[in-house]
Amino acid sequence: MMRPDLLVIADAERDRRAFSNARIAWIAAAAIVVLVLSVQPFRDTDVWWHLALGRLITTSGIPGSEPFSFLPAAHAWVGQQWLYEVTLAGLFGAGGAGLASLVMGLVATSAVVLAAVSVPRSARVSGPWLGLAMVLTGVVLNSVVGVTSTVISVLGVAIVLYVISRWREGHTAALWGLPPLLLVWANMDAGFTAGLLIILAALLFIRPISAAPSGARRMLAVALGLSALAVLANPMGPELYASVLAGIFNPGVAQSLVGFGSPNFHDWSARLFEAEVVLMIVLWTVSGGPDRFSAVTGFGLLIATLFAQENVGILAVFLTPQLAVHSGRAWDLHVGPRLRQRSNTRRRRPHPVATSGVLLAMTAAMAVVLIPQLTPSAAAAYQASTYPEAAATYVSANFPAQRVYSIDAWGGYLAYRFPKGRVIFLYDEAAVFGDQALQLYLDIDQLDPNWVHVLTSEDIHHAILPSDAREAAALHVLGWAINCYDASSKSIVMSSPPPGAPLPQSGLVIPPPDAPAC
Amino acid sequence: MSSVAAEAVHEQRTGLRARLDSMTTPSGLFLAAVLVIMALPVTRTIQDPDFWWHLRAGQLLIQHGGLLGNDPFTYTVANHHWTMHEWLNEVLFAVEYAIGGLGLIVLILSAVTWFGLMAIVQKARLRNPGRVALGLGMLVAVIAGFPIWGPRVQMITFFFAMVTLLIVERHLAKGGRAIWWLVPLFLVWSNFHSGFVIGLGFIAVILIAELIGGRWHMPDPAPRAHLRPLLFVLIASTAVSMINPNGPTILLYALGTQTSGAQQSLIEEWFSPSFHDWEVLVYGAMLLSLAMFIVANRRIRARDVALVLVTTALSLQSARHIALFVGAATPVYIDQLAMAMPRMRAGIRHLRRARGAARVRNRTQPPFAFRLITSAVLFAGLGGISLAWLVPKMTLQPVSLAYAQEFPVCAAQWLASAPEPLRVFNQYGEGGYLSYALSARGDRVFIFGDAALMGDPLLYSYANVETVTPAWDSIIKSAGTNIVLYDVKTPLADVMEHSADWTKVYQDGLSVAFVETDQLATLQLPPVPHWAPGSVCAKQAKAAPNSGAQNS
Repeated sequence: MMRPDLLVIADAERDRRAFSNARIAWIAAAAIVVLVLSVQPFRDTDVWWHLALGRLITTSGIPGSEPFSFLPAAHAWVGQQWLYEVTLAGLFGAGGAGLASLVMGLVATSAVVLAAVSVPRSARVSGPWLGLAMVLTGVVLNSVVGVTSTVISVLGVAIVLYVISRWREGHTAALWGLPPLLLVWANMDAGFTAGLLIILAALLFIRPISAAPSGARRMLAVALGLSALAVLANPMGPELYASVLAGIFNPGVAQSLVGFGSPNFHDWSARLFEAEVVLMIVLWTVSGGPDRFSAVTGFGLLIATLFAQENVGILAVFLTPQLAVHSGRAWDLHVGPRLRQRSNTRRRRPHPVATSGVLLAMTAAMAVVLIPQLTPSAAAAYQASTYPEAAATYVSANFPAQRVYSIDAWGGYLAYRFPKGRVIFLYDEAAVFGDQALQLYLDIDQLDPNWVHVLTSEDIHHAILPSDAREAAALHVLGWAINCYDASSKSIVMSSPPPGAPLPQSGLVIPPPDAPAC
Repeated sequence: MSSVAAEAVHEQRTGLRARLDSMTTPSGLFLAAVLVIMALPVTRTIQDPDFWWHLRAGQLLIQHGGLLGNDPFTYTVANHHWTMHEWLNEVLFAVEYAIGGLGLIVLILSAVTWFGLMAIVQKARLRNPGRVALGLGMLVAVIAGFPIWGPRVQMITFFFAMVTLLIVERHLAKGGRAIWWLVPLFLVWSNFHSGFVIGLGFIAVILIAELIGGRWHMPDPAPRAHLRPLLFVLIASTAVSMINPNGPTILLYALGTQTSGAQQSLIEEWFSPSFHDWEVLVYGAMLLSLAMFIVANRRIRARDVALVLVTTALSLQSARHIALFVGAATPVYIDQLAMAMPRMRAGIRHLRRARGAARVRNRTQPPFAFRLITSAVLFAGLGGISLAWLVPKMTLQPVSLAYAQEFPVCAAQWLASAPEPLRVFNQYGEGGYLSYALSARGDRVFIFGDAALMGDPLLYSYANVETVTPAWDSIIKSAGTNIVLYDVKTPLADVMEHSADWTKVYQDGLSVAFVETDQLATLQLPPVPHWAPGSVCAKQAKAAPNSGAQNS
C-alpha cells in the first residue's frame, strides 16, 4: 500500500500526463484543420517563374542576368531565393503540382503547430485554447499561404518564436540552431529580416527566467550576430541587406505588386485579419497586458502588415501563442470564476480511446477532402482554367521564337512555358527589371500616351491576353486580329495586322465569333 | 457704489484675471493655439466634384418649388426616381451662392467643420483630460482627418454626428433634459443628409454597449437611469427622421450605399485607405497609438470600446469614413493619452535620472503682463495666418485657373457654344461640374456623382468604358452619346486617339473631346476656340493647346 504523500505525487503526475495528452490531441486535431486550409493549388502567379528558374539553376547554375525576358533588366540577377526555387523544381519534378502543394501545406501547418507549442510550459495553456488559436490562424493564413515562398518565412518566424520561448525558459542550446536556420531562410525568402528583427526584439525586451544559465542574454546576442552574418552566405553577399531595404522602400514596388500594398478591407480575408488583431488587443487589455517583447513585436508586425499585406502570414503566426495564452488567461480571470460559482462539477477529460477515434475520423475526412485536390488531373484542370495554357501552346506552335506581350500576372507562367529564346515581356520581379522596364510595361498596360511607340520599338507583334483586358480592346483599335480564343481560361492570342490593312470600324466582340479555339 | 456691487465687480475682475492667468500658461496657450490652427486644414477651395451638382440641384429645387422627381442631368438614367436626401442642404447652397457666391459657401462649410471639431473638444473635456492631452489629441485628430476635410456636404453630417455624441455623452455623465434636443436635431439632419442614420447608429451602439458593459462590470458605466431616456430619444429621433419629403424610405437609403458592390468597388473614396499615401499616415499612427494606449492603460468604458471598434471597421473599409473615426475616437484617444501621460512622464524622469541629468526645475511663471502681451501677439499672428489662408479660398470664382485645372471649366465654355444641346459621355467626377455649367442649356451627361441614383448597372457600364474593356465602344454608342469629353492622358483618351471610328474635336490642358467620325458633320460643333491671351483658359490650355483637334 502506498504512503498518502506518494499517492498525492502519483495523482499529480497522472494529472500532468493527462493534461499533456489532451494538449497533444487538441493540437493534432487543429493541425488537421490547418492542413486542409493550407493546401492550395498554384494560386500565386509567381510560382511559375520560380519553377522555371529552379529548373534552370538545376541544369546551368544561377544565371547572372535575367534569363527569360527580351526587356533589358536594370539589375544583375542575383538569385537570392535560389534554394527555394531549386527545392520547388525538385518537388514538382518528383510529384508534380500535387506534391508541391502538399509539401507547402505541410510547411504552413508545421509553422502553426510550432507557434502553438512555443507557448511557455509555465503558462499551462489548456488544449482547447491552443486548438482554437491554431484554427483561427489557419483561417487567416488561408488567403496568403499555398505554393509561395512566403510560407517559408511563416515557418521561419514560428521556429524563431519556438527557440526564443525555449531560451526564455533557460534552454540555451536551441539558440545555436538560429544561424543555420537564418542561412537557409535567407536563401529561400527575403522575409528572413523579420526573423532577425524578432530575435533583436527578444534581446532588447525579454529577461530570461532566473534559473537560466548565466550569460543567457549574451548567448542570444552572439546567436543574433552569427545569424546576421550567416545570411550573407547568399549569392547577393553583403548587398543583401541593402537590396531588402531597397525593395521595402521602393514606391514602385508597392504600386505594382499587390502583396506590397495595404490590405483591402473590402475583402473578407482582410476583415478576418482585422478581427484577429482586434481580438488580440481586446485579450491583451482584459488579461493583464502583454509583456514588452510581445507588445513591441506585435505592434511592429501590425505596422508592417498595414504597409504590405504580404506580412499577414507572419503576423498571424506570431499571434498564435499570444491568442492561446491570453484567451486562457482572460477566461480564468473573468469567466472561469463565475462558472465555478454556478457549478461545482469537476471538469472531465475525454477518454483516450474516444480522443483517438475522433482524431482518426478527422484524418480520414482530411484525406477525403485533400486527395482529390492533389491528383494530376485536378492540377491540370486548375492550370488550364487559371493560366493561358492553350494560348501558350498555340503561340509556341504558330509563332515560335517571336516576342509576345502579356500582362505581368501571366508573365511568370509564360516564363515557365517559354524558358528559352527570351520571347516574353515582364513578370513580377520588379526589383531585377528596374523602373525603366517597369515603365515600359506600364506604358502598355495603362495605355499611357507612349504605348503604341513601345509596341513598335520593342518589336512586339503578338500578345496573349485575358479577353477582357484593356490591352485587348486597345490592340483591336490598332487593327490587331484575334488568332484564337480559349474559353477555359478566357484568353486570346492576338497578332499585329499586315502593313496597310484597314482599321476596324467596330469594337471588339468577346467571345470572338470567328476566332478558332486555341 | 454699494459694497455688494463693488464685491460683484471685484469677483468678476478676479474671475477674469484667473481665467486669463490660466489661459496664458504654456499649456493654456498650447491648447488655444491648437484650437485656432484647427481652422486651417478644414478651410479649402471646393475640391469635392459633387459640390457642383448639389449647387445646381438647389437652384432647380428653388425654381420648381419642390423635389425634382426624376434625374434631370443624365441621358442614361433620366427615368430613375431621385431620392433627394440632401434637398435642404442643396437649397441652402443655392441661397448662399445667390447671396455671397462660392466664398460664403466655403466660409459656412469650413465653420461647420470647425464647430464639429469643437464639439469633439467639448466632449473630451467632460473627462477633464488636462490641456496638454487635449491639445495633443486634437492636433493628431485634425491631421489624421486631413484627407477628408474641406467644403463638402459630408461635413454637415460630421458636425451633426459630433453634436449628437456630445449631447449623448453629457447626458450619460450628468443626466438632465438636454438629451431631448436630439429629436429636433434629427428632424433637421434627416433633411440635410442621409448620414443621419450614422447618428442613430451611434446612439444604438452606445445603448447596447452600456447595457452589455454594465453586465460585464466595465469601468465607469452610465447610470441605468440615464439609459432609459436615451432609448426613448432614439425612438423619437428615428420617428421624426421620417418627417421628410422622402418619407420613411430615407432610413433605408443610406444602407444602400454601404451595401452597393459597384459603389464600394469603383468609387475611389469608398476604397480602403492605402498607408503608402502620406495623407493617411497620421490616421494610421492615431489608430495604432490608440490601440497601444488602450493596451497599456487597460481601462476603457464600454461605449468607448464600441464606438472605436465600429468606426475603426468603417474607416478601414472606406477612407471617407476616416472623419467618423476621428470624430468618435478622438475623445477616447485624449482620455487614454491623459491616462498614459503620468506613466510617460515617469518614464522620462527615470531616463533622465539614469543619465544623471536630474536637476531641480524652476517652474516660476513669467510676469502676468508679459504672458498677456506674448499671448496677444501669438494670437494676432495666428489670426492673421488664418485670415490669409481663408480669404483666397473664399474669393476664388468658379471661372478661375485653380478650378479650371480641376474641373472642365474651359471645355464647358466651348460646349456651351454648340448650336444644339449635346449628350456628353463624361468622366465620373466631372459630371457634376458639366451639369452645373450646361444643364440649363439642355445638355445631358452620361453619369454624375449621385451613385445611388445612377444605380449599379450604369456604374458597371461606366467602369467598363473607363477601363477600356472590349465593350467600351458599344456602351458609348448604344447610350446615344453625341460627344465624349474625357481627361487627357487617360487610357480611354489614348485609345480613342488611335481609333479610326472617332475624331478628336477639342483639347485643352485638362480635357479632350471626340465625336464619331461619321457624325462630325451632323453635329456642327463650334470651332476650337482661340482663348484671349492671359485668360484663364489660355493659361490652362498652355499644357496642350488643342493639339490635333480636327474641327478648327
